[in-house]
Amino acid sequence: MGERVNKSIIIALVLAAILALLPFGLPRFYVYLIALIVTFGLVSTSLNFVLGFGGIYQFHHAVFYGVGAYGAAVTIMKLGWSPWIGFVVGPLTAAFLSLVMGIICIRLSKLYFGMLQISLGSLVWVTVYRWYGLTGGDDGIHGVTVPELIESPTGSYYFTMIVAALSLFIMYRILHAPFGSILQGIRDNAIRSQALGVNVRRHQLIALVIAGFFAGVAGVLFVVIDNSVFPDMMFWTLSLEVTIMALLGGWFTFMGPMLGAAIIVLLRTFVSTVTDYWALVLSVVLVLVILFLPEGVLGKVFEIWHQRHPEKSAQGE
Amino acid sequence: MLLEVKNVRKSFGGFKAVNGASLDVEKGEIVAVIGPNGAGKTTLFNVITGVLKPNGGRVIFKGDDITGLPSHKTCKKGIARSFQIVNIFSRLTVFENVQIAVLTEQGRDLNLFTPSRKLAVEETNAILGSVGLIEKANSVCSSLSHGERKVLEIAIVLGGRPELLILDEPTAGMSPEETARCISLIQQLSAKYGLTILFCEHDMELVFSIAQRIMVMVRGSTILQADCATVRCNKAVQDAYLGEG
Amino acid sequence: MDALSAIWSPGLVCQVLLGLSRTVILFIVASGLSLILGVLRIPNIAHGSLYMIGAFMAYTVSRLFGGGIMGYWMAVLLAPLAVALLSFVAERGIFCRVYDREHIMLFLLTFAFSLMFGDLVKMAWGAEYRTVPMPSFFQGSIPILGLPFPIYNFFLLLIGPLVAIALYLLVNKTKMGKISRAAAVDREMVGGVGVNVSRVFCTVFVIGCLLAGLGGVLVAPIVNVSLGMDHTLIMEAFLIVIMGGLGNVWGALLGALIFGITQSLGILIWPQFGIVFPYAAVVVVLSFRPTGLLRSTW
Repeated sequence: MGERVNKSIIIALVLAAILALLPFGLPRFYVYLIALIVTFGLVSTSLNFVLGFGGIYQFHHAVFYGVGAYGAAVTIMKLGWSPWIGFVVGPLTAAFLSLVMGIICIRLSKLYFGMLQISLGSLVWVTVYRWYGLTGGDDGIHGVTVPELIESPTGSYYFTMIVAALSLFIMYRILHAPFGSILQGIRDNAIRSQALGVNVRRHQLIALVIAGFFAGVAGVLFVVIDNSVFPDMMFWTLSLEVTIMALLGGWFTFMGPMLGAAIIVLLRTFVSTVTDYWALVLSVVLVLVILFLPEGVLGKVFEIWHQRHPEKSAQGE
Repeated sequence: MLLEVKNVRKSFGGFKAVNGASLDVEKGEIVAVIGPNGAGKTTLFNVITGVLKPNGGRVIFKGDDITGLPSHKTCKKGIARSFQIVNIFSRLTVFENVQIAVLTEQGRDLNLFTPSRKLAVEETNAILGSVGLIEKANSVCSSLSHGERKVLEIAIVLGGRPELLILDEPTAGMSPEETARCISLIQQLSAKYGLTILFCEHDMELVFSIAQRIMVMVRGSTILQADCATVRCNKAVQDAYLGEG
Repeated sequence: MDALSAIWSPGLVCQVLLGLSRTVILFIVASGLSLILGVLRIPNIAHGSLYMIGAFMAYTVSRLFGGGIMGYWMAVLLAPLAVALLSFVAERGIFCRVYDREHIMLFLLTFAFSLMFGDLVKMAWGAEYRTVPMPSFFQGSIPILGLPFPIYNFFLLLIGPLVAIALYLLVNKTKMGKISRAAAVDREMVGGVGVNVSRVFCTVFVIGCLLAGLGGVLVAPIVNVSLGMDHTLIMEAFLIVIMGGLGNVWGALLGALIFGITQSLGILIWPQFGIVFPYAAVVVVLSFRPTGLLRSTW
């Protein structure tokens, strides 16, 4: 066990070193791309926090990502406040919305929770879409000012890496604390958990707020990278894409969604250079994964690893 | 009197699952509930533990009226319950299953920061040791036999440090050796840990061998609660079981 | 009395009818979605893409037959059949193999198909939008309550109830309909009494998709047929199905009615946020009746 932790730490340090040095070697576009992958990976991980680890059917997670981004953009551009304040307002707004939506939906069982969330999320989307005055409507808001320190591609890259790493670390710790163990217990058996004294609804509500908060953080990161927001950021197609990233990468593992995000973003970028029909390629990949890899890519990797080391604990990393 | 159940009624639509069930349990006793299939035993247990709200009657625990309290609150009061159909956390290991119960009992369920693997280790291992599952602590539940899973059910429930343990058909589906082990476990829990135990079972030999008093339910109503000898000789009880295998 | 007649002005009634005529399309698509959802328990995201394919096929077929009234009716006949054929291939090819998987997987599979169909449309018709000419028979307007009302929209208002009645007969009066309803409730029982459940599922799926194609054909003359018309439509169709009750075709009708009326009223009351009203209506309905207005088959 100690040996395994040491190996993980070494791998993590090497990875961190590589990521830190990348901007010096790669062209600006790739730096932008990696920052984008990490941002989507963060959204996807925050979704998986409640979906894979909590068993909650969060069908419209992109709403919180979009609200976080819009919260920051509107604060900076319409209220004229300092960007750093905007960066805090965004995730807090997302967390608050998550709390409100959660309270409305939580009393419903799985599927109906998802349905009501979709309708609430769609309502938020359509309101943002039409509120030209505040949100720029269909066009969104462009040219959002960010602090000079993080304005350049390299600057935004480092900012994204640091914030994302911190967010992932926090979520990881929470999942491995009692809160996380019990959240997984609720996922596996809500009745049993309730019978053990767990206030299931309160627990799930807190999880939803955490997930919404970090989705909002990812939204802010996007604003830093791209300096813009638009209504598609909270459209159902993005929610579905984020869900696919989580499932593709492995929804019972922690880093699975990040891997899924990398696969999808890279696929889209490079397939688009070869053909116009990147959606077709993605659909084929999806079909293959659904038919043959129900646990996702990382899940399959773990499965093979566990078959070779049956004595080790089976809980996903 | 640790637990008093007075004339509980519970209907589902027009169907009266429980129609006037009463029982009482003294501290430290082992009481069994018996009755033909469909007599309403599980529904009664659901009402006592708060999974269901009754349509009538009262449940009093340690002098407090707990009728209608939801299950996470009855648990905090000291009642723990195992389920007829195995109800465990299937994707987690045996250790984690019990640890969840212990952590919740310790009030640590909302702890966001301390790594779980450092908490409640001794208490969890103690429970696993007392039920004989300590070697399987790191196994995933799917690798356990049915009997072991039923024992895990009980182990989880012990994690909550209850005063009253309610077991719903604890030996259902077990092999004879597993049943014997379960019986001695129940006796040990009562004798060594002073737990009060209320259970329901179909295996009459088991019931008569460990229960001190028996409550008989037929079609949702209590027809008798008395010690083993009285129940065995009672005509109404014999009538109810005529035709039962 | 005066206030009442001011409210129920001809202008208002016409606006509402206009809105309703457009939601007839939503109803037709939503009813297909509801059928599939109710019997197969699959939320078919590809439904929107099939609607889009129906519209594009209408363009092609109507051009093939000269673009006039003949072209239109041939399109109404052939395009939904083409969509049905496509869905048949998809169902037999892949769907029927994964019915026992977790629902979220089926959901994603239909999403994969929607992506696939979207790109197939791009391949076959290119990225520009098309227009399907309105046949001269339908051009112009007729007076309703003294105000001009487009003939085509009036036609749509007539089609709506016709489709509803046809569906009612299909679901309640035919043997296939009865079997499907039983299969929706308990597929194992139905299989146990010797019915070929797989064939029932296939039939229901194809009919549902055919309805999507029909919706696409009917909407073709009054909108720009373009890529992306599937995205908003599928969301609204889903909201209608959820609001009406999963798997309940009458629920889809009721939901579509509510959607159309609230949208028309919304546009009159607060034009900028008119479209928000139906979405808010869905949220309100679901908050009080999470399973939908009418009984769902789930």
